[in-house]
Amino acid sequence: MGGNAATQAAEAADAAAQPPSIVTRLFGGWPRRSERPPLDIRWWGLGFVLPVVMFFAVFSVFPVFFGFYLSLTDYDLLSPPLFVGLDNFRNLVSDKLFLTALVNTLIFVVGATVPVWAASLAAALLFDQVFRGRDVVKAIFFLPVLPPAVVIAVIWRLLLHPNGIATSTVGWFSGISEIPWLANTVLAPLAMIVVHDWAAIPFFMLIWLAGLAGIPQEARDAAAVDGAGALQRFWYIDLPLLRPTSLLVASLATINAFQSFVLQFVLSSDQGGPANSTLVLGLLVFKYGFQYFRMGDAAAVSVVMFAIIMSVTLLQLRLGRRVY
Amino acid sequence: MRHHNATLKSMMPHLTRRAFAVLAALVVTALLSAPVAPASAQTTTIKVWLHDHPPRVAIDKAIVAEFEKANPDIKVQYDVIPVGEYGQKLLTAFASGSGPDVFMNSILLVSQYQSAKILAPVDFAGLGYADEKALTSQYLTGFDGIRFGGKLYGLPIEVSNWVCYANNAIWKEAGLDPDKDFPKTWEALPAVMEKLTKRDANGVPTRRGFDFLWPNRNMFWFVLSSMFHQQGKDMVDAQTGKMAFDTPAAARAVQYMVDYANKYRLGGPQYGDARSDFLGGRLGTECSFGLFGIPQMKTANLQYTIKPAPRFADAASDNGFDAYAFYMMVNARSTPANQKAAWKYARMYLDRSVELFEKAGLFVPRPEVLASPGYKSDPNIGLIVDELKKAKFAPSIPGYDQVLDILLKGRDQMVQGGQPAASVLPAINDEMNTALARARTRAGG
Repeated sequence: MGGNAATQAAEAADAAAQPPSIVTRLFGGWPRRSERPPLDIRWWGLGFVLPVVMFFAVFSVFPVFFGFYLSLTDYDLLSPPLFVGLDNFRNLVSDKLFLTALVNTLIFVVGATVPVWAASLAAALLFDQVFRGRDVVKAIFFLPVLPPAVVIAVIWRLLLHPNGIATSTVGWFSGISEIPWLANTVLAPLAMIVVHDWAAIPFFMLIWLAGLAGIPQEARDAAAVDGAGALQRFWYIDLPLLRPTSLLVASLATINAFQSFVLQFVLSSDQGGPANSTLVLGLLVFKYGFQYFRMGDAAAVSVVMFAIIMSVTLLQLRLGRRVY
Repeated sequence: MRHHNATLKSMMPHLTRRAFAVLAALVVTALLSAPVAPASAQTTTIKVWLHDHPPRVAIDKAIVAEFEKANPDIKVQYDVIPVGEYGQKLLTAFASGSGPDVFMNSILLVSQYQSAKILAPVDFAGLGYADEKALTSQYLTGFDGIRFGGKLYGLPIEVSNWVCYANNAIWKEAGLDPDKDFPKTWEALPAVMEKLTKRDANGVPTRRGFDFLWPNRNMFWFVLSSMFHQQGKDMVDAQTGKMAFDTPAAARAVQYMVDYANKYRLGGPQYGDARSDFLGGRLGTECSFGLFGIPQMKTANLQYTIKPAPRFADAASDNGFDAYAFYMMVNARSTPANQKAAWKYARMYLDRSVELFEKAGLFVPRPEVLASPGYKSDPNIGLIVDELKKAKFAPSIPGYDQVLDILLKGRDQMVQGGQPAASVLPAINDEMNTALARARTRAGG
């Protein structure tokens, strides 16, 4: 107890010696007049950051607010927008296409996060071990991350031809010579998940590896001395210490999956087919905006997407704050 | 802190708030004034946007140079835009109020632009024609897709229609002669194509005799509309303006394509692009090439025979596939002076139709093109133009892409999902009409 008090006092002394952080300045009160830099220097500072601030305001902040404004309009891009209030949002509730896309997106998100989280962790644990040829195998495993998503989609389009390599592989065991991977309403969404995960797992593996590298070997050694087996060391030492990494992987994977567009746009038949089975929210925004001339609805779907992603991310962050 | 500030002061020149404000105002003024180019009050500048077609670009540039020389008071700002970006770029340009004065678009999208009142009615005087008849009499066909409410809103710059091409080698290998054995009716087609088809032990086609161009979104629209027309009906009812997919004509046309894939197992949406497969020698017959396909077949060193599209045995109309066109149009929101200059430019473009056909393969059925050496020297063109004369134009509607997506969803439900046409067609017909009504209402039409 006494030790704790001493530590707290030392931390307080350290904190007092540090200059106030930007967070303190923003949220912990403005510095006293005697601490502020002279006016002319502050103007210089403002002058230097102004171009970046303006760029950010024009190309990031303004579009966000303008998008929200558009979600309150009926706008076909060719005629002036008509203000319709919340009608677009009300209509979404009964919009079959939106509901189909929402369900498809949720299924895709589950398929593109849970397996990715687990498989990328497993891959990281594998490549965290020392074995002959590890670096070469790791580099090969990482290759799917390098090409752009469009290239990946085009390559997989060839692999998933009904008489292509994927069918031949399955046919080796089953004798089937034709599988409509992308033309079947059950197989096509699964194919999207598989292709996505194939490219995403190596990327997230790197993040896990960085997290594993940060775990002190002493903690593992101490557990080993206490008689903990490999599984126990992973469960009681590695996994708790990987909590921030785990949270990061879960958040990034979820956000990426919700925003998925290129894969469905390029790989699916008729951009979201067959029978809308691969239509996800990102693709629906594109279709509404640039194919159906319904920019107001596109903006409304975007706002809903934003709300969903933000809610899920906040939930993940909140869950991640729990301390055992 | 005081020492720190003093150091900074010593490193930077002294600048007061007023001096900074003056400097910032100068920078902003300079930035705002930079893009404004001084324009002569006497000069009209028109923006011309066409999508990329490499063989045409050189001709375009020559037209621009000639036009500017003949009209020193008009400047042309000519932009070629990649095909894949053209639609979106055009849309966003009009949305931001910076749309071109002269632009092109496909028959399938002109209705949307016309509904939004972006298309200027054709200015016959500006074009140098006495009236509409004087203009249209110069063409065998081409204006049906750009006439709305009795008015013309554009000029055809490429008119096309599909015909069938038989791969002579594959037909010969199957013991068939395209000239004698090519089926004249849809009903006779499956039996002939079965002879050209090779299958594996599971009955899966390893080489198809003929297949529709399933991966092409617009194919379903064109082929179904052609089959409607052959039955003497319209896919979009001329009287009510509604989709007619709850009619017997629709059921017959759709069922034919469903049976082709599922009952006869001669093809289907799961297979690759029919055009590529035909050019690669993996498909015996292709029926989605127009004149534009001939150079590709020559490049692929493929010996072919051109045949008319099949008809229904009891066809009420002797038409093959529907025709379609690209149109040159003028922006109704441009100033009167720009519109006048734009029509003048369009006229010069039309007058180069022989060169555009012979050097860029862009066919318009005008007398001078039909009399040109390029036309007369190609024995295949006669059949294609005969088919074009009989063809009707594919319907153009606002909200086309959404209506088409609903139609494709129905196709997938029937072809891949095995659902009966009797239940799918009425449902998608209602959906299509709702989308169509919404698009028309929004457009104020």
